[in-house]
Amino acid sequence: MSNRNPLDYSLNKPLIRGFNPINYLFKDLPLFLALLILLSFGLLMLFSASGQSTSMVSRQIIFILVGLVLLLSISHLKPRSYKNILMNSYWLGILLLIYVLINPASGYQTSRWIDLGFFSFQPSEIVRLILPLSIVAYLCRKEMVPKFQDWMITTFGALACSYLVYEQPDLGTSIIVLTSGLIPIFLAGLPLRIIISYFVVLSLTLPVIWTNFLYDYQKERVYTFIDPNADPLGTGWNIAQSQTAIGSGGLYGKGFLQGSQSQLDFIPESHSDFIFSVIGEELGLLGILFLFALYAFILWRVFRIGFYAETNFERLACCSLGFIFLLFILINVLMVIGIIPVVGVPLPLVSQGGTSIVVHLLAFGVILSTKKTQL
Amino acid sequence: MKFVQDLKRDEREIKSLKERSRIIFLFISIMFCIGLFKILQLSILDNTEYLDDSDKNRIIEMPIHPARGLIKLQDGLVVAENIVSKDLFIKTEFLDSAEKELDYLRTNIANDRKLTYSDVKNYKKDEKVLLLGNLSSAELAKFELSKEFMPHISLEISLRRYLPQKNLFSHVIGHLGRLSSEEKTYLPRFEYPLTSFLGKVGLEKVYEKELKGFPGLSLMEVDVYGKKIRELERNLPLTPKDITLSLNLKLQNIARTELANRKGAIIALDPNTGFIKAMVSSPDYNPNTLNGSEIGSSFEDYLREDSPFFNRAISGSYPPASTIKPFVGLLGLEEGVITEDTKIEDKGFFQLKEDGRRYRGWKEDGHGQVNLNKAIVESSDVYFYELSSQLTIDRISKFLSAFGFGKFTEIDLYSEAQSILPTRNWKLGNIGEPWFVGDTINIGIGQGYITSTPMQLLSSISAIATKGKIFKPKIVSKIGSEPLMPELLHEIKIKDQQHWNIIEKSMIKVIQSWNGTAHNLYTEGGVVIAGKTGTAQIKSLTDQDLTVREEYQEVRDNIEDRDHALFASYGPIPNPNIAVVVIVENGESGSAVAAPIAKKMIEAYQKITFIDEQ
Repeated sequence: MSNRNPLDYSLNKPLIRGFNPINYLFKDLPLFLALLILLSFGLLMLFSASGQSTSMVSRQIIFILVGLVLLLSISHLKPRSYKNILMNSYWLGILLLIYVLINPASGYQTSRWIDLGFFSFQPSEIVRLILPLSIVAYLCRKEMVPKFQDWMITTFGALACSYLVYEQPDLGTSIIVLTSGLIPIFLAGLPLRIIISYFVVLSLTLPVIWTNFLYDYQKERVYTFIDPNADPLGTGWNIAQSQTAIGSGGLYGKGFLQGSQSQLDFIPESHSDFIFSVIGEELGLLGILFLFALYAFILWRVFRIGFYAETNFERLACCSLGFIFLLFILINVLMVIGIIPVVGVPLPLVSQGGTSIVVHLLAFGVILSTKKTQL
Repeated sequence: MKFVQDLKRDEREIKSLKERSRIIFLFISIMFCIGLFKILQLSILDNTEYLDDSDKNRIIEMPIHPARGLIKLQDGLVVAENIVSKDLFIKTEFLDSAEKELDYLRTNIANDRKLTYSDVKNYKKDEKVLLLGNLSSAELAKFELSKEFMPHISLEISLRRYLPQKNLFSHVIGHLGRLSSEEKTYLPRFEYPLTSFLGKVGLEKVYEKELKGFPGLSLMEVDVYGKKIRELERNLPLTPKDITLSLNLKLQNIARTELANRKGAIIALDPNTGFIKAMVSSPDYNPNTLNGSEIGSSFEDYLREDSPFFNRAISGSYPPASTIKPFVGLLGLEEGVITEDTKIEDKGFFQLKEDGRRYRGWKEDGHGQVNLNKAIVESSDVYFYELSSQLTIDRISKFLSAFGFGKFTEIDLYSEAQSILPTRNWKLGNIGEPWFVGDTINIGIGQGYITSTPMQLLSSISAIATKGKIFKPKIVSKIGSEPLMPELLHEIKIKDQQHWNIIEKSMIKVIQSWNGTAHNLYTEGGVVIAGKTGTAQIKSLTDQDLTVREEYQEVRDNIEDRDHALFASYGPIPNPNIAVVVIVENGESGSAVAAPIAKKMIEAYQKITFIDEQ
């Protein structure tokens, strides 16, 4: 790549010469196929993790189909045509977050869910993708370099979302929301002096946050993360069980549908946040490496599209989404193997969860829409 | 169409984007590598440990407890079996919160029965408390119908020890009990879970190992909720052994009926083998209520009663009284101190030359001219005062020791008391006084320091029946299918075999002679029995001014000070097949109270063996 100038169009040969309807429909066939393989792999693992529940799998298939239709529709739009919608979607996110605080779904301890009757979802899952896109759209609303107040507005926009999520209360997700807001700001070229001042402010306020803003259970989570064996049946129990699952899987795994930890319900939330440990137990290290390879291929295609996109908005949007996708994978895996505390992040495109699937496929729709036709 | 400056700006922006992307990517890569190392550590380095952990999660070991071995009699009659008991339990953690359910249980099912849980305090976590044991079929039906009102109360089915004859074998078989807190600490948890029973006394304790067997093991796969999914492996338990007793049901019944709740003990054995034919101690108890197989008195209830757990047959210590006379007489013959014809004048008392103290016989006016035969038949005390004063304690204790006095009989039961056979050293060590001739004189009539357990007295008497052979007494004749052989413990050698016959003749005469102390047993042409009565004094009568009879009249007023009635016997002559010792506490008269029971036993046994031979 290094010896190829991206602006030297003559060198960017199209992958398929002439008009190809399939290539036209799917924009980036390798990426699309990789997504399909990942989704199918996820469905298989969900079948195993859910205790071979066909109803859960068919529900997931419906969400995948809805997501794929949205993906294909969005991928054929011109990014600039929905740039303004994206920018204003920030307010939709804020509205949802406020609504869920005022009017939370009953039956949950925390106010994170909105219940639509047939289906309930967490607005924070939507905000995780709306926020970065709206920030990118805001920063690129004019053909100009962002000014100081633009950086401030976007930063405070991200902080506002993050704070609303924190109020649910959900510390883990609020940090993730903040990060997904800061990634596009950083990519867009946040000046170094502002970055440094952010760090200064953060290091000054961190002790204040620890003593005044954290709930006891949140501190406890941090403590158990430091020493997970301290209470094997309390919060650390989940981690211990998930580590046991991955560890007992070994290199080759116990075989599909053969994992005792997952089939006998020892792994908590095995169908959603902890599906990675089911993969580790049943398919072993090889299964994990296969999954990582699949993710790596997808990300390679995403950044390839991103770096060669036509406008700065498209490049930033695509790369931001790519990094957020990567960040979610990383956070989920690190949480399942016990390196970071448990936060509610599903394994992208694999874990059960309608919102997560649809939102992620929407994001891939945005990514594909930024693809330059000649590429 | 792009302008050059736009292209330049694009170029700048892409460069910046790539730079910044690299920074984020570097950061994420580091985190990712940490994750990858952790995964490698989990699944490759520590793989075996985690495999172990996951197996520990899913596999639980469940012991399979075999049903306790049966206890039978030789004719196959089962005297200790296992019955199904249906009990209601509650987990301790729900005990406080489930007051409504307990009320429901109390009013609708238990009716007048008391719930057992209030008796126990200091519950431990994760334990179950018995609420109502041994549900009747009506109670069970009521519970099944109204189960939904008592969701925390669970029905459990278990095997309980049941003795069909209830009290009859209480002291022989004994009872089971829950593990004590001490037993919980050293018994292996696998064999004895916290709620299990084990033999506490009697044969249930002695043969605990044989009766218990060894639990098998079932490896069950469970899910996280403890629900059993499937059985992975099963090792069958080691089946326990059934135990066969040498006891005879009819003799047991006669003995218990005849004692009729008076304090006392009856034991019978076959002198030629040592196998016990009957062993009854009274008062007794119903082991079933302690085994949890019948509703009734609890252990605490029994403790308030008068020593029902005390097995007088092996643990009771009594003065052998006049039953010792045949042994002392035999020693006199052996030592040449007397012959069959040696006569003394019995004037009703014996006076020591040293201190001039008078030792009175039980008969005020004396028995007149007395030889050995008459002395045994009429139970002359004065004759044996005289004889023992000449024999000296050293010779007496050495000889009596050969017959088992002062020793354990080694019967296959725990808690046998050691009888006391005093010697000079014994007195010095235990009383702190030197031996006096007066002590020897008391020993001569089986009073003073000497004590016997009924079991020991029986074993000693059987040695006369067998002319010197003492077999180890045994209650169990078979363990599993393996019969236990008679074990000759000791054979007494005497100088002249004729002396056995002299003693036996006198003991027969005790019943046959018109002047015998047990002549009331005599029936023309009946079974020939050899025996010796005994009346053991509890209060020593020493008032020199009153006669024995006058003094005893005062003592009699307190029932517990009344004399014990003893009878030691065997029969039939010439080929004895059973020896019987009867002791009735405070029964006063060996001849009137104890002897008829022994006779009944011997006669009944003859009928039994006669039928068996047919």
